[in-house]
Amino acid sequence: MRSGPGLSRRALLAAAATLAAPGARAQGAALRVATIDWALLETLLGMGITPVAAAELVLFRTVAVEPPVPPSVIDIGLRGAPNFEALRLARPSLIFSSNYYAEMEPKLRLVAPVETISIYRTGDPPFARAEAAAVRIGAVTGREDAARALIADVTAQLVRDRANLAGHAGRPVLVLNLGDARHFRVFGADSLFGEVLGRLGLANAWGERTSYAASAPIGLEALARFPEAFLIVLRPVPPDAARVLGQSVLWNALPNIRDRRLAVLDSVDPFGGLPAAARFARLLSAALRAEGDAAGRGGDLG
Amino acid sequence: MAELTLPRPARRRPLHIGLALGLLGTLLFALVLARQPTLAGPDAPALQQLLLWHSLLPRAATALLAGAALGLSGALLQRVLRNPIADPSTLGIAAGAQLALTLAMAFAPALLAFSREGTAFAGGIVAVALVLAMSWRRGFEPVTVVVAGMTLSLMAGAMSAALILARGDYVFSLFIWGAGALHQQNWQPALLVGTRLALGAAAALLLLRPLDLMTLDDAAARSLGAAVQGMRLGIIALAVWLAASVVSQVGVIGFVGLAAPAFARLGGARRPGALLLASPLIGALMLWITDSLVQLTASDGGDLIPTGAAVGLLGGPLLLWLLPRLPVSAPRQPMATGHTRRLRRPGRALVLLAAGALLMAALALLAGRDLEGWALATGPLLAELAAFRIPRIVAAAAAGGLLGAAGAIMQRLTGNPLAGPEVLGVSAGAGVGLAIALTLSPAPSAALLLAASAGGALGALALVLLMAAWTGFAAERLLLCGIALGCTGLAILSAVFAAGGPGSFRLLAWMSGSTDKVGANEAWMLAACALVLLLPVAVLGRWLDILPLGAGVSASLGVPVGASQLILTLLAALMTGVAAFFVGPLSLVGLIGPHLARLSGFVSGRAFVFASALIGAGVLLLADWLARMLAFPYQLPTGLLAALVGGPYLIWLLQRGGRRHG
Repeated sequence: MRSGPGLSRRALLAAAATLAAPGARAQGAALRVATIDWALLETLLGMGITPVAAAELVLFRTVAVEPPVPPSVIDIGLRGAPNFEALRLARPSLIFSSNYYAEMEPKLRLVAPVETISIYRTGDPPFARAEAAAVRIGAVTGREDAARALIADVTAQLVRDRANLAGHAGRPVLVLNLGDARHFRVFGADSLFGEVLGRLGLANAWGERTSYAASAPIGLEALARFPEAFLIVLRPVPPDAARVLGQSVLWNALPNIRDRRLAVLDSVDPFGGLPAAARFARLLSAALRAEGDAAGRGGDLG
Repeated sequence: MAELTLPRPARRRPLHIGLALGLLGTLLFALVLARQPTLAGPDAPALQQLLLWHSLLPRAATALLAGAALGLSGALLQRVLRNPIADPSTLGIAAGAQLALTLAMAFAPALLAFSREGTAFAGGIVAVALVLAMSWRRGFEPVTVVVAGMTLSLMAGAMSAALILARGDYVFSLFIWGAGALHQQNWQPALLVGTRLALGAAAALLLLRPLDLMTLDDAAARSLGAAVQGMRLGIIALAVWLAASVVSQVGVIGFVGLAAPAFARLGGARRPGALLLASPLIGALMLWITDSLVQLTASDGGDLIPTGAAVGLLGGPLLLWLLPRLPVSAPRQPMATGHTRRLRRPGRALVLLAAGALLMAALALLAGRDLEGWALATGPLLAELAAFRIPRIVAAAAAGGLLGAAGAIMQRLTGNPLAGPEVLGVSAGAGVGLAIALTLSPAPSAALLLAASAGGALGALALVLLMAAWTGFAAERLLLCGIALGCTGLAILSAVFAAGGPGSFRLLAWMSGSTDKVGANEAWMLAACALVLLLPVAVLGRWLDILPLGAGVSASLGVPVGASQLILTLLAALMTGVAAFFVGPLSLVGLIGPHLARLSGFVSGRAFVFASALIGAGVLLLADWLARMLAFPYQLPTGLLAALVGGPYLIWLLQRGGRRHG
């Protein structure tokens, strides 16, 4: 994240200039921001700022789910190939972007000033950077109060969930995605999920390093190394994987599955911002607390 | 067409080689078993047992059976097509099967739950049918078949990449299949592949005599009463089925089908019976050994490289090694024979083509969609949007022109109508350069990426030129060098995808081909490059006219054969490399341009190249405009659209030519 005061002042000035400009289509809206990055979109929405345009909303609504995106937000297409013309027609006065999209910054600058805020960088724990991103967005948009409120809300929720999970303190948990019936990838300590586990007082059973938040595909048999861990499987689960695993001798013989230490959570964006962290914490603590009730559902991935 | 004549090695015993490989495999597998992690907890002994019986042993069995199935498939294809470099990878069968699975995952997941094998088989059959349709006119001549197969593989790869980008929710699953992984958790895949292998082997045994006859030419075989064509199709379908069942269970495993029969021949197996027995055995041992090595080098965090990609890395070097052993086959067919009409005034036609391309550019500049609907941009709106539209238009036109010209030069140089720019392997080199930069640098700048892909392209170019010089610039050798390089590049890319790091998405976007990120400066730079590279063609026209007549004629007419080939290759490769690192491997344009140019009757070398360039530019402009419009505001990858628009037309053209002159 760039933190020179110069850029923020420039962006602010630009935003102010657009607001002041007669004829600019800023009717009533205090701010016209757009964002390419999903984590920043979450953060903006979490702060109560509705952007005029954002990328790949169709998939955002199924993968990140929360916060809900108001219908007024213009979809500018794939994150990897945003439609600059549509972005331009949305007339933002400031565009948020991240290191993923560094390459397209020169083109974004043709539309409006760009503020680059990167939450995910190799080797940096993302939670603190997600908080810093909210602070930064607050500073650039003049909504410091909203940033403080979002951070306070998420922190309070994590504290609450931690208290609720007091009985599970120190419990090993493995957070994973299923790729097919034979492979999974696991989220390490350097991932957003890994950090939330720590803040909830749980232990990440995956001790190895992951090169970039999530590991490369790993064979299912590796799960046998973590008989004690509670398995958190994140949706989507491929349909044929669910079918095959239901009948698999190895899968059903794993102590975790046999003893029903498994929960399937609704989709959460693994590369999200503070709202994703809060969503994950909420779903996770609900799943752990419902562990006893889930009788008969263990091993069922549907 | 001659049967393959590998130099016969001095009486080596195939049995000994087989035994040595078997011993090595057993040794490695014993190491794998010994290296298993010890589990903790009360369930440990039971779990250890379970892992042995439901993971380790089925994994070994699957490796052996899948390797055998691929080996048999390769041996059958090589025999029936009389083509020593045919295998499920070089014929595009694996890529087609994978694309079918990816399509099903994205649009009809229920189909996969119903039958993965059937889906993969359908994809494989379509792929092989397309390849054979494209190469039919050239009598299934080995190099042409493989060129068609590799072009198809590249297209299928670009389509898979576009699908993965568009269907982000199953990205992780889709990445895994690209590079076959052999992890197992039950016996089902082993059983499935095993039964297919048994059925295939039985069928092959029954077909042994007809297969023997296949070594004769068609007329002789027919006179002996064999229903040659029907038999051929049956055997090809059998080979596709074997390969598709492997892809459906463990993903793409490259080049075992190529390597196994080659090694069998090297070991001294010559008669069809011996080859059909030895190939599956060697294939089985090869895959088993590779998979054991992959397991031994894996850390607790996963494999270093998936097994499929590891074997795939063998493909390139293997093709290179087979290269000098290939018979120089099929006499050259002069490209521009009298069957097409000949333009009397090619100059005026060129002007017309240029006007057409300009018209297309104007359409792309003015017509478009905004948030409400279709709109013709004029006045202030145009001034605003021009900043985004002009670079894309310039880039599309320049890249299309370069690719069209490169394709035209390559076709003249090799005398092969399927030789597009991608068979030089330069695009794949650019991709590998990009992959390296994305893997090593967390947030690479545009300049670094450009430099990396340029470096990759130049590296590939140097390699191809070196190898071509070494083999004496024979056209077929040049094509095979490029293909070998392309294979290696694709294997590296699929390994990078499988790791799924942050760079994968950027690489996917490049693979699917897009003019999207080109800024104004880059666009004009590309246009300048296009001019600089196209102008020399004006003075090289004579070489382009004479070289297709063959080395002997060319030399007697005073053309310095070696030097002219070197210069033309260099030119075509530079054109491809420049276009590839701006807009990705938009390969098909390089085939469509020259074909339409030939069809319109541009005969002289110079006019042919310029016409191909203009047509290429027009086609890419159209594809780029459609890519922006069809799903607005979502943008489709330009390369994919060019393939979808131009591909079927190209195949129809090639087919039509075949019917008229077949």
